[in-house]
Formats: sequence, structure tokens, C-alpha cells
Amino acid sequence: MIRKTHSPREEILQRLRGAIQHMEHVLPGQAAIKDFVHHNTLHGFEHLPFAEAVEKACEITGNFGYLPQTRFRALFKQGRITLDELRTTLDETANLKASDIIFKAADRDISQADIYLARLLHPIKPVTGCQINWQLGELNALHAFQPDIDSIARERLLKTADLNEHQAIFDLWSACLHILGLDHFIAHPEDMLDLTPEKAESMLSQTLANDDHPDDQPVIDFLIRKHARRDMDKLFSQIGEKLTLEGMLKKLTGEDLLEQMRPLLIRYMAAFLDQGFSAWPGPGREEGFYTFWRKSAVFDKTSVFDDFPDWADTLDALPEDAFDTVVIELRWLGIDEGKWESYLQRLALELPGWSGMFLWRHNRPGYDGLTNVNVNMMDYLAVRLVLERLFAQRLCRNLWQIEASIDVIRWYFKHHLAEFMVRQNFYNQHLPEYLSTLAQNHLNCSDICTPDEQQWWHLAHLIWTWQHSTSNGNPSSYNLFNSAWPLFRLSQHLGLSDAEIRKLDITQIDRIFNCLKAMDKHQASFIWLQAYERHYRDQLFNAVIQNHGRGLWKTRDKRPDAQIVFCMDDREEGMRRHLEEHNPDIETLGAGGFFGLPINWLGLDDEQITPLCPVVATPSYEIQEHPQPHQEALLQKRKQRLSTGQKLQNLVFQETRRNLLVTTCLVLINAPVTLAVLTSKTWVYSRFGRWLENKRKTLSVPVATEITINTEQPDKPATPETPRVGLTDIEQADHIERFLRTIGLQHTLAPFVVMMGHGSISENNPHLAAYDCGACSGRHGGPNARAFAAIANRPAIRRLLRERGIDIPDDTWVLGAEHNTCDENIIWYDRDQIPASLQENFTHLQKGLYIATLGSAHERSRRLASAPKGDSRTKALRHIYARSKDFSQARPELGHATNAAAIIGRRSISQSAFFDRRVFLISYDPAYDPDGSIVENILLTAGPVGAGINLEYYFSAVNNDQYGCGSKVTHNVTGLLGVMQGTSSDLRTGLPKQMIEIHEAMRLQVLVEATEETLTKIYMRQPPLQQLVGNGWLLLSAIHPETGKISVFKPGEGFIPWEHENTPLTRVSNSEDWYKGHTEPLPPALIDQQNSAVKHA
Amino acid sequence: MPDWIIACVPALPLLAALMIAAGYVSGSNRDEAGERQTRRIALSAATLSFLILLYADLFALINGKLPGYIQVFTWFHSGDYHINISFLLDTPGLIMAHLVSLLSLITLHFSVNYLHREAGYPRFFMIMSLFTAAMLLIVMAGNTLLMFVGWELAGVCSYLLIAYSHERTTAADNATRAFVTNKIGDTGFLLAIILSFFWINSTEWPDIFIHTGVLDSLHSGLIASGLLLAAMAKSAQIPFSPWIARSLEGPTPSSAIFYGSLMVHAGVFLLIRMQPLLMHTPELMWMIAIIGAATALYGFIGSLVQTDVKSALMFSTTGQTGLMFLACGLGWFEFALWHLVAHAIWRAYHFLSAPAMMHLLNGHTRFVPAWIQKRRQLYTAALQRFWLEQITDWLFVKPTLALARDAQAFDQQVVNRLVGLPGSIGAVSSLAQWEKQKSTHSMQLDGDSGDIGRGRGLLGKLMEWIASLLHWFEEHLVLKGGDDGILHAVIRLGEVLTRVDEMLSRPRYLLLMLLLTFVVIL
Repeated sequence: MIRKTHSPREEILQRLRGAIQHMEHVLPGQAAIKDFVHHNTLHGFEHLPFAEAVEKACEITGNFGYLPQTRFRALFKQGRITLDELRTTLDETANLKASDIIFKAADRDISQADIYLARLLHPIKPVTGCQINWQLGELNALHAFQPDIDSIARERLLKTADLNEHQAIFDLWSACLHILGLDHFIAHPEDMLDLTPEKAESMLSQTLANDDHPDDQPVIDFLIRKHARRDMDKLFSQIGEKLTLEGMLKKLTGEDLLEQMRPLLIRYMAAFLDQGFSAWPGPGREEGFYTFWRKSAVFDKTSVFDDFPDWADTLDALPEDAFDTVVIELRWLGIDEGKWESYLQRLALELPGWSGMFLWRHNRPGYDGLTNVNVNMMDYLAVRLVLERLFAQRLCRNLWQIEASIDVIRWYFKHHLAEFMVRQNFYNQHLPEYLSTLAQNHLNCSDICTPDEQQWWHLAHLIWTWQHSTSNGNPSSYNLFNSAWPLFRLSQHLGLSDAEIRKLDITQIDRIFNCLKAMDKHQASFIWLQAYERHYRDQLFNAVIQNHGRGLWKTRDKRPDAQIVFCMDDREEGMRRHLEEHNPDIETLGAGGFFGLPINWLGLDDEQITPLCPVVATPSYEIQEHPQPHQEALLQKRKQRLSTGQKLQNLVFQETRRNLLVTTCLVLINAPVTLAVLTSKTWVYSRFGRWLENKRKTLSVPVATEITINTEQPDKPATPETPRVGLTDIEQADHIERFLRTIGLQHTLAPFVVMMGHGSISENNPHLAAYDCGACSGRHGGPNARAFAAIANRPAIRRLLRERGIDIPDDTWVLGAEHNTCDENIIWYDRDQIPASLQENFTHLQKGLYIATLGSAHERSRRLASAPKGDSRTKALRHIYARSKDFSQARPELGHATNAAAIIGRRSISQSAFFDRRVFLISYDPAYDPDGSIVENILLTAGPVGAGINLEYYFSAVNNDQYGCGSKVTHNVTGLLGVMQGTSSDLRTGLPKQMIEIHEAMRLQVLVEATEETLTKIYMRQPPLQQLVGNGWLLLSAIHPETGKISVFKPGEGFIPWEHENTPLTRVSNSEDWYKGHTEPLPPALIDQQNSAVKHA
Repeated sequence: MPDWIIACVPALPLLAALMIAAGYVSGSNRDEAGERQTRRIALSAATLSFLILLYADLFALINGKLPGYIQVFTWFHSGDYHINISFLLDTPGLIMAHLVSLLSLITLHFSVNYLHREAGYPRFFMIMSLFTAAMLLIVMAGNTLLMFVGWELAGVCSYLLIAYSHERTTAADNATRAFVTNKIGDTGFLLAIILSFFWINSTEWPDIFIHTGVLDSLHSGLIASGLLLAAMAKSAQIPFSPWIARSLEGPTPSSAIFYGSLMVHAGVFLLIRMQPLLMHTPELMWMIAIIGAATALYGFIGSLVQTDVKSALMFSTTGQTGLMFLACGLGWFEFALWHLVAHAIWRAYHFLSAPAMMHLLNGHTRFVPAWIQKRRQLYTAALQRFWLEQITDWLFVKPTLALARDAQAFDQQVVNRLVGLPGSIGAVSSLAQWEKQKSTHSMQLDGDSGDIGRGRGLLGKLMEWIASLLHWFEEHLVLKGGDDGILHAVIRLGEVLTRVDEMLSRPRYLLLMLLLTFVVIL
């Protein structure tokens, strides 16, 4: 039906474009898989407070954003959440009024908190008729305690009741019924099959008394019509907000149109978005998806065999422009113009993964060099709408011989209310078997005996009768299932006897039920989460407080042997700890792994640049790797070899799926080699991997390289839009100065300063980028480290720095390196340039780092099921290495699975304590930052990176099926852009199950070494922080640089001192003593420093 | 070498499967700690079974001849019919047994880490062991019956692993589809077994080979056609091809071994196995060649447009099995065997490395020539897999579904009433009925049929009907004496007849009638 008034075209276009932009807030914003970067799964909801955002997202997408209550309860049993923590959290939740007393029991007051706690700790839920019959009949529920009642409650109840268990529980049940004014009459649903005249009479008179109705027509029919009409209005009003046409039809017919059209749609969509996997790119991709689909669909014979008679006509009539199609289709559907935006959003959300990828590419034209593919979200929406119509049309025609527009469907059901009622109830409610069988017969009937109106009415009458009988609890007032049973369970958990229940008055009863209702699933889960976080936070802060004054390098009184700047990554915490335990004279620092140098990197073998910096920034400089002089000839050879290698690789792996006859020849030639490779990869993968690695290295002709850091065009401005190769001296000095000041390394530089970037390499892993450096957009940070070192070693730069007050001593050498967090290997850059005088020190340093990697590997092994658990560190390292070479390993490493906190401050806060690889460590020295500008900058850059990693892990862990991407085991990489489960599923976003299994899902605790005043000022002037911290996406606390006192930031209130009694901490002489024999997450412990180091403190 | 040792080759993985299943039932391998037990059983059985094969090689090497036909024992016999547990370890049999054993072992090894912490861990290893046993039976069996046992077991395993994530509808649907398609092939196999019993009195391969020369070409052709049908379905030849592209819903290692490397080749192996039989039926050979060529083309063109790794590998595999069929059709059986072995090894590796395929691609896949790229019509056809599936649905699935609905309707309307099942009973079960009864008190007086008595089921109704008839007779013919009553009855009868007539004129019934006529004629 065409509406009479509508806005001019341009205005609608603007509105719809706005709607598309808005979809960024609700659709997954994940990049194509090879450019995977951690980001907050609910990034579009960051403007809301955390709890509100999770709830809102759930409302829109249907994805629940907390751990299941059962998991929380299990954590409670493990002692990871305590009763005190729950109570405190309840007290702090203002709207719950937890401390209000509801009534006085025999020996105590029952407050609202008691009800909340009982509800949190135990499932106190309504039951169904069948469940209650089971409880009473099979589990003897009326004469024995429920099995989950704890002993204290049991004792208390029996003591107050002064009866045996058998009688006390029965009396309690009677009391619960009595106080709610209910009878103990529980009919089995099937009892409704034959009504006794008495029963029918009593029900009828009850109905007549309850409802208004005219006297002159049959009452029941009237009431059914009334209710059905109400339900129908409700359902139809949801279209455009909560439902699409597909969604509504699913509710009325059980037919999942999306499921039917998905293979059809996904084939076209994947072909269109493909980044080069298929050998035959879809013809006409440059014209956009809509045209691509339209022109191909003309030839699609699906229409013939799948019975779409209006397919060809519909396609013929489609306008050229996608936008026009969208408008026409929406009008045709009969969606209110005001709801167009929300309808399209709902439509996109039905296939979130693919829609999200479409939008992502829409926002990045020319991505991955695909300039000839015109990705426009409007095209996608147009195709979705047309397909939706075609499929809906077929369904509506087959079932009701009507058009698939909303008005027509509404008109049809207006005249077939009984059918509506049956459909609505059968597909959306739980009907007892005798009714569902009947309904099924009606709904799936053969076309030779379609049910007539009378039969629909008969069934509607039956359903209505069942709904109003006692076997289906009447939801409006207190009843057996929703009230008596929960009250009965609650009383047992609180240890209340029948006498105490009988004393309650109606307002008290109301308050009890209000409490049970007040805390919905979201709020309950949020309380659990807060208590869980509090538990960890208190452990962490307790350790930090007790470590006050123990950690080294608060001030650098003595020159360290070396300073190693690691990435802030939580995985490096273990490595740093082991290194310091081995040699306390080495100072370790932490910073974003791009070392303050946002660059575009063009490696020796690369054909295109790679940006290496946090994803929010765009580099202005390009750094290139070149062969050293006299290596050009070698380079030529290398290029040849590499190209041959690549051709060979393509031939072997790609042509064997692409080419028919070549495949036959290739497999026949290759078979013996393949068999050898397959057996080696199965039984001697570690040795084979190493052999292959070495072979590759020698075969590819190693070329000594250097990097261009100086620009040849100093006058050309360097901007993100027009990046320039190299940096001017001033720019170089600026970057080095800023970075050294940021991490507090502006004085007493050691003979060796190492920039340790990181990355991760493993076999057979599509999610490779998810293990890499988050501060380098999911790449390796080695090139940044190398560039930093090259710049910092230049005498000219050192001179400039000295002028600015930073003295890099002449005998200091800066080195770049890269740590492979998967196999623990370290690559050193430009070793040949290390001055001869430092060679010996370097060997010593290397040895120290090797020992640290041994320790790190050993500590990692404790959490890996198949790793050796013995004392031998070399064995552990061997295993870790082998793991990275094992092509059957779905968990080459565990990634950030343990992240939980971030400490921004001097290493002295965290040094000499064990933090279980759970803490991002970011170096910052408040002593050199009087106005807080440095820490402000750190918070602005590291904050989003840390939150991105933490929150992606959080959401993937709490709901792996919907926010994560499920198990790797059935993953299938599609179009080089993402993974599907099987061959025609939605694109799966988030992290795979294997990455989050051991993750403890909680928000990041950020502890900053700064005064409250400084942080408050920063908070007041920085809207991004107000959003992240104020809305509770990050949990901020401050530790005073001098006193070491901690205060916690509470949104809306400011900093509140953290007061907690010191809990004694275990002291151990090294990390191993603490983690040995444990596979679970460990609380912090204090590590006693080696004696030689104490004097540096 | 005692013969029973050869029987251990398939028996050991079978035993492993049973042990894992028993472990699961007893609860000893359900949790994470139970993984060790599961994998130990599965791996040791597979390893042992492989070692026995090596031992058999050694024996063959020393003796200078292959084990050949081995009859371990007679399973049962009745009159002239003997069913044996026998194995045929000639060149193809022995080579294939090694291939199956080794690739299964490698895949099991792969799955140890890959499937770690999966809820279906014991289930997966149980099915994989069962599958190994099934495949070994297929390639080693000395008679068609034993081979059929393996054939069926493999089919069941495939069903169970496609539906590994049974909570996803797509996975469950595709599993059923694969299973049903395979069943069509299985009927062919079964037919061949029955016919060979009938005409040759034996199902042993050597007997069949000897008799092929004696049987006339129609008889041997029928037996061969049955087996060919089975081979076509298993190796996903046209028109059965679509099922295999749908079967990639399970874990990567199972996809690798089932559809990449072993089960998909079972059909080709069957052709190689029945080589003497085929040599006597040149017409069939031509057919095999044509089917093979068509499948090769289907697989090849299909593989060009696939955008996901597993589908691309699957279409490519289909193309290669098509070529193998073509080779068999042309009589190049030995070539087909070597092609099969090499391809199985390569595809196992290819599928197992599927997750890394994106990292093994430099730039993009070599594009097809521009003149092909532009062929939009062919592109659409390839993308929609030449509508093979839709066509079969249209031809078979939809009419079957409609027939089933009709049968259900018949059940409800006729059978249920006849036997007196509830569902059509007339007692008061809704308030509306009660309300109506109350408002029309006269109803009981007005009753014109059943109030003489009520009965359920045939006998009950019969009595009720006789009583009512007498009552009606009295009422209408004696008391009322008019024609109205009879007229109504006639009109209603007429309506029913029209409906039956309408029903019979529907295409599916015409088709059914046609089929029935054929069956009767045959």
C-alpha cells in the first residue's frame, strides 16, 4: 500500500544514509581476519554506562553480555567470589535498598539483602505444571529439604519449627499456600483433555466474573477475539522495531525464511566481497552489489525449481538504483516511514556478521587494493529487502493465498482470529502435548484437507481453556507456579519455618516478591560481576600496598646493566619477572609496543606498506628496509628465489584446487613428498619445523639490510594523508624525546637499552593476527623497535636530545629486538652494528634473556594441558617451541587470556611481586610529570588499546556463541575475510573458544601512579576518558606516588580511599616456588629479592 | 601368517570404537581427564592395525606373493548360501588398506590436539575409529556383503560427524541430506548383492569374477549397475554430487578424511574392485566415462567460483574423482588406482592445512581468462551449483513430502478414527463447548445421531453406528417420513467423492499411479 504523504527523495536518502552510519553502533565492527585488531565488542554502546550498554545491546541483538549465573555460582563455590563481596556490592547498589528490613524472623531481621542473596546464590525460579508434578511426585519435595539448601539454613529452620524434617517442610508448604491464599490443587496439563462438568462450570463462572463482556453473544468467543486482537496489535506494532517481516512470519508459521535464503544470499555476498580467494571473481563487481546480484539473479534457475513464479517479473520491475529499490520495497511492505531506519537496522542485525563486514568495507573503499569493488551498504539492504519479499511472498501465497505485505497479512488475520491465536500460541508458547499435537496437525496439514474455520475455532477454544486452567499458572496474581513455589524455596534457603511465614502480612509478602522481581537477570549478573572484580581488585591492591617500598627502580640511583623496554602486553609480565629474578641489575620497562613511532613499514620483501601503530592513529612516516651497500646482487637473487618460492607455493597449494588436469599431474608427482611431509608434521613436527625454518632461511638468500630513517625531502610536510619516507632530525629527536619522557627514562641510561617489540607466529591459525601486538594494529612490533634504535643511536639525535635535557651517554647502545610470544624466540636487529666494546656485555645480556625465556616458557606450561609439568625448564621451552610448529595445535599460545589489570607507573610498584601474567605494565614516572600531561597522553593512547583487548576477551568469554566465534574446530575461512561455521553460516566475529577458555571475564582494573588531583583534572578535561572510565568500561584507581595509598574512582563521586585490612601474602624466593603444581589462576605473592639487589632500592 | 591376524586389521579399530563407547556409557572418559584414555585406545588400535599390515607386507615379501583371497571363517550358511568373513588382499586391496590405515592414523593424531576440550571428544574418536574400521572393511572385504557392512558403517559415521554440532540446524539438515542421498546408492548395492546371490549363489568377489564370463551380459550388467549406483552416490558423481559440498559442517579433521581423502574415493575403489565385471559390460563403461567427465567438469567449474576454503577443496576433490571415474570408464583402472592413492594423500594434507590456506596464498588466486570471467550466465550457474540440488528437490523431495502429508492426513482422518485413538473424541474439552451446551439445553433432545451410546474404535463405533442407524431409521423414515434426511446423506457422499476425485487428479498421484503401474508390470 502506498502512503499518501512522503518526504522528498533527497531527504529520505539523507535519512537512510544516516541510518547506515548509525548501524556502526550495533553491528560488529571487526576487520577482515588478516587485519584483526582487538576492539571493544560493544564499541557502539560506549556512550552508555557498562551495565546499561550490556542490557541495551541484549535488547537490540539478543546477545546476553554476562557469564551465566551457573558459572558465577561455580566461581562462588571455588572461593573466587565471597559472600562479603556480594553483600558489599549489594549495599553499594543504591536502587536495591539492600539494607531495608522486610520483617523480623524469630532470631533475626530479614533484610532485602537476604532475599537478594538467596536469589543470587540459588536458582529460585517459577516452575511449570509438569516440573512441579515431578518435584512433588518424584523428588518428595513436600517432605524433604531441597537438595541445595545449606546446613545452616536447615538447622535454623528445624530449630524454629521444632519438628522433624518431614513435617516441618510440609507445614512450610502449607504456610506458603495459606499466606498466598492458594489451594493445593495441581492438575496435570493432560487432565484438561476431558473436562468434568463441575470443573467446566467453576471455570466458566470464574471467567464470567473476571472479564467484561456483552451479554448477547458467546462469552468465550468474545474473549478469545478480544485477546487475539490485542496480541495481534502487539505483534504487528513490533514490526520495524523488534521484528522484520521475516521475524514476524517466523512467529506465525515457524518457517525461518532467513535460513532458507541464507545459502542463496551468502554465495552472492561472499563472491562479491571476496578478497582474492576464488579464481573467478564475480563479473561486474565494480557496479556494486545490487547490480551484481540483479544481473546474475536473472539467470538464476532457483526461481523455477524452488517455485518462485514472480521472480522474473520482480527482477524486471526493479529500479536501477539501490536506494529507489529500498524505498519501494519498504513502501510495498507497508512499513511506517518513521520506522524505516529501525526496520533496516533490524534487517541488518538478522545476519550480523555479514552485515557488519559489508558495513566495514562500505566505510573503507578500496580496502586491500580492491578498488574495482564498489561496496555500498545500500546495495546490500536493497538485495536483502527484495529477497525477503520474494521468499515471504512464496510463503504467504502457499499458506493463505495472499500478498506478503504487512497490511494484507493483518487484514487476513483480522478475519481469521482463531487461526492467529493457534499460530501465536503454538510457535511462541509452550503448549502441553495434547494441544501441540492437535495444533501441529492443523498447521502441517496436507492441502487435500486444510482445516476450516470451525476447526481453528475448536482448537482456539481448547488452548484458551487450558490457558485459563490451574494447570497453567495464571500470571496476573499469586499462583502456585510463579509464587508459592519460589516462596517455598526461598523460605528454605533463609531457614524460615512455617510459623514465621504465617506471620507475614500482605505488604511484607509483596515486598518479598518485589525483591525477587526487582533484580532481573541483568542486574543480578552485574552484581555478580562487580563482586568478582572486587575480589580480584582487592587481591591486587593488597599485593601492591604490601609491595610498597620493596620494588626496585623507584629512583635510578645506580646505573642498571641494561634497560629493556617491553610492550605493555600482559604476556610480557612473566618474561620481565623472570628476567629480573635472574638478574636484578636489569631494569625492565613497558610501553605501547610501537615505541611512540607510528610508521608505515615497507620491509625488504614487501610489496605494500603496513601501518605499525595503534589502530586509531595513521602514520605520517614511512620507513623502508633496504639491502646494505654491496648486497644488491644478493637481493636480486633473493627476489628471484622468493618469487620462485611463492610461485611454487601457489602452484602446490592453490593450483591443486583451481586446476583440473594440473592437479592430477601435481598430486601424482607430489604424493611421495606429501606423504613424507604429512608423517613428519604428525610425528616429528618440532624437528621438521626447525629444519624447514632453517632451510627457508638459507634458501631465501639472507641479505644484510639497513633501514631508511632520514628523509631526503625534509621540506615536504609529513601528514597521514601524504606520508613521507623518513623523518627529519628534529622529528626524530621529538619522537625519541617524547617516548623517553613518557616512560620515565630520561636519565641514567644503561649501557644497553633494548626496545623489545613482539609478535606471534604459529601454524594453521586463521586468527594469527589476534595473537600479535595490539599496539601495532595486530602486527609485529619489531620494525618499530629497530627504527627506534637506529634513530636513538645517531650522534646527531643524541646531541639534539642533550640540548633538550636528555643525556644518552656515549657508551649507551640502543638495540631493537622482537620477542615471539608463541615460541619465545628473540630476534635481534642490526647486531653487526653493536660496538666491539659492548660485544661481551651483549652476550651476557642475551644469555640473561634466554634464561628469562626458559622461565617464561616454564610458567606458561603450567596452564597448558599437554605441556610437561616437571621441573625442567629446557623441556618446557622445547614443548613451547614444538607447539608453535604443530599444525594440529588449536592453542599455539593462550594470547591475552589472563589479562585483568593495568598498572601505569614506575616498575617499583609491581616489581618483586607475582602477578601471574595478568597485568599490562606501562612505565611512567610521576616525578617528571608535574602537570600530568604525560599520564594524560598515556591514558588516552593505552586506555583504548587495553580496553579493546580486555573487553573483546570479556565479551567473547561470557557469550562465546554470540559475541565470540565459537570453536575453531569447525571454522572455515571464507573470502580471506573471516570465518564461518561450516559452509553457509553467518560470518563469525570475536574470539574463538580456544582463546578464551581460561579467561576470567572481568573489566580491566587500571591503577595509575598519580595523585587523585592530577587524575581528576585529566578526567574533567578529557571526554574520551569520561566515556571509558565514567561509564565503567575501565575501572580506574590511583596510587599515590609518595604514600602508596590507593583510592578507587567511582563515577559520579570521584576518588574514594580503598580501605582494606592487609591480608597476609605468601612470600616466595622466586616465581616458580609459587606457581609450581598449580594450573589455576593464582593470587599475587611477594618475591624476595636477591640480596645483591637490595642496595639499589 | 594365520588368517585371523588379517581380520584384526579392521577389527581393532572397531574394538576401539566399542571401548570408547563403553567408556562413555560408564562415564570414565567424559571429562577432560578422560581424553587421555580415549586417545590412547583410538591411537593404539589404529597403530596396531597399521603394524599388522606392515607385517603382512613382510610376509608377502618373504613368500614372494600377495596374500590374495583369505577366507577367515564362515559367518553363517543356509543350504547353498554361504556368507563368509573373507578378505581380498590383492594389489588394489593391499595398497588401499595401507592408505586407509595410515591416513586414519595421521588424522587421529591430528585430532588429539585439535579436538582438545571439545565436548564431543570421545564421540569424535569413537566415530573416527568406527570409520577406520568401516573403510578397512570396504577395501579389504573378500565379498560384497562384508564390503556392504563397511559401506553402511562409513555412511553412518559420515552422518554422525556432519551433525557433530547437532545444535546447529544447518549441520543437522545437511547430515540428513547426505545420509539420504547415500541411501539411494545403498539400494543399488543391496540389489547387486541380492542378484549375485540369486544368479551366482555367492557374494565372494572371486566367485563373481569367475561367473561374469558365464553370465549373460544383461545379468552381469544388472549386478554391475547396482554397484555402480552405489559407487556414484558415495563418490558424489553427478547427479549425486551436491551432498558432499553440504557435508563440510563437521570438525576439520573429519572433513579431511571423509570427504577429502578416504570415503569420497570409496566409489572409485569399488569400480576398480569390480573391474572384471565392468570389462564385460562395455555399455556401462561408456556410461561411467560420461558420468566421470560430467562430474569432472562440474567440480572444476564449481571450484572456480567457491569463496570459502572447504567448499573450494571439496569441489576440486569432486572434479578429481570425476577424472578417476573417467579413467575407469576408459579402462585405465591401474591409472585410476594410482591417481586415487596420490590424491587421497594430497587432499588429506590439503584439508588439514585448510585453516592456514589464507596464509599460503600470495596475492590472489590466478584468475580465469577474461573471456570466461565475463560469462555471467555460466558464473551464476556455477555459483548455484548448476541447480542440481534444486532439481532433485523438485523432482523427488517435494512430491515425497506432499505424499507424506497426505498419508498423515489419511492417518488422522481415517485410521485414527477407525482404531479409536483420541484426537477426534467428542467429550467436552473446552469452556466454549460447555458454554454452548449450557446455552442450548435442547441440544440433548435435539441430538440426531450419537446419543444412543458412545463407542471408541472400530468395534465400538460399529455398535454405536448400528444403534444410531436404527435410531435414524426410526427418526427419519418412520417418524419424519420425509426425503430430506436421505437427500442430505446423498449430497454429502457426493462431496466426498468429488474430493477424492480432485485428489487423484493431482500430479503427485498421477506419478504415483504411474510408478505403481510400472511396479505391477515389472
